[in-house]
Amino acid sequence: MDRNQITKWLKEPAKMANKYSLHVIYFCTGCGIIEVPPVITSRWDAERFGVIPVATPRQANLFLITGYVSVKTLRAIIRTYEQMYEPKYTVGFGSCPINGGMYWDSYNTIKHLDKYIPIDGWIAGCMPRPEAIFIAVTHLWTLIDKGMADGCIRYRENYELYRRNQEMVLGKLDWSPLYPIHSNVKAVEDE
Amino acid sequence: MNESIKEQLESTFKAVVVTIPEGIRIIVNVKKDQVLAVLRFLKDRRFDHLALVSCVDWIEEKEFELVYIVTGYIQGDEEHREQERLHLIVKTRISRQSPQFETITGIFSNAEPYEREIHELFGVKFEGHKRLTPLFLERNYEIPPFRKDFDTRKYVSDVFDKIPFIQLEKE
Repeated sequence: MDRNQITKWLKEPAKMANKYSLHVIYFCTGCGIIEVPPVITSRWDAERFGVIPVATPRQANLFLITGYVSVKTLRAIIRTYEQMYEPKYTVGFGSCPINGGMYWDSYNTIKHLDKYIPIDGWIAGCMPRPEAIFIAVTHLWTLIDKGMADGCIRYRENYELYRRNQEMVLGKLDWSPLYPIHSNVKAVEDE
Repeated sequence: MNESIKEQLESTFKAVVVTIPEGIRIIVNVKKDQVLAVLRFLKDRRFDHLALVSCVDWIEEKEFELVYIVTGYIQGDEEHREQERLHLIVKTRISRQSPQFETITGIFSNAEPYEREIHELFGVKFEGHKRLTPLFLERNYEIPPFRKDFDTRKYVSDVFDKIPFIQLEKE
């Protein structure tokens, strides 16, 4: 702990609390989950950074999506994301959530995850090393300090657009909207 | 052992072509109306484990090829040890225009998910199957996606690339 930061702590204690207690829910979709067991166990002890895995989305505030996202997985990802409490941060791990990666021409894999849920940061690579998770965490600290990790606010403000994109892929969603939908969004063009 | 299975198959069924490409593999090409009889015959001779049901799309010959791989459970006794190592690959061809075949769940009940998968990804209908519901896919595809004439890149550019990015109102 840096003593020089004490004044900053006292000024904005909520930000400090969010920064140093990142409770992570790992979404084990693809091969990226193989990097997570070394991260949370003794080799690269993630608890040094306040990063701790939790069991349910209700307890989490960091959502780590490790690997490609198929259409069926997207449904589960949206449901998990909407169950998390604010403030919540999302990090895409590996190149597949960024732009499809090696599944760029797959018939059943969505290519850009940030079309469907807001993403606060990306970890590029195929595969990223476990250290990259800590680099992402420290970057996320900076973003939280500056108030730039605003994924949940973007989701609330642009919920119509996100919901429209989700329904373009998944069809009619069978759960009610998380936020009220204003009808000024133009309708889905193709379908 | 290979030879005796080959002789038994060839003497029991007409129009069965048995080839032995490698030591433990035996390929049995049969007509489609004999598949159930051959599988039942093999099951009675201790080939009681269905390892895989698969499908191949031969688009130039306008045929689907169904592949059944059967093998035996390890019993541990000396006289069957040779046979337990064998893999019998039963192949048959069906028409590509109206892909339809009988289910083998009456013989091997673990064929159920394999046949559901083939129905979903290749569009082969299995008569008598009790639960031909979707297994993996969420979207509806005009052409089942594992057929050779399904253009994945066109599908991706038509569907996933058409979805717009979220444009933020304020910069």
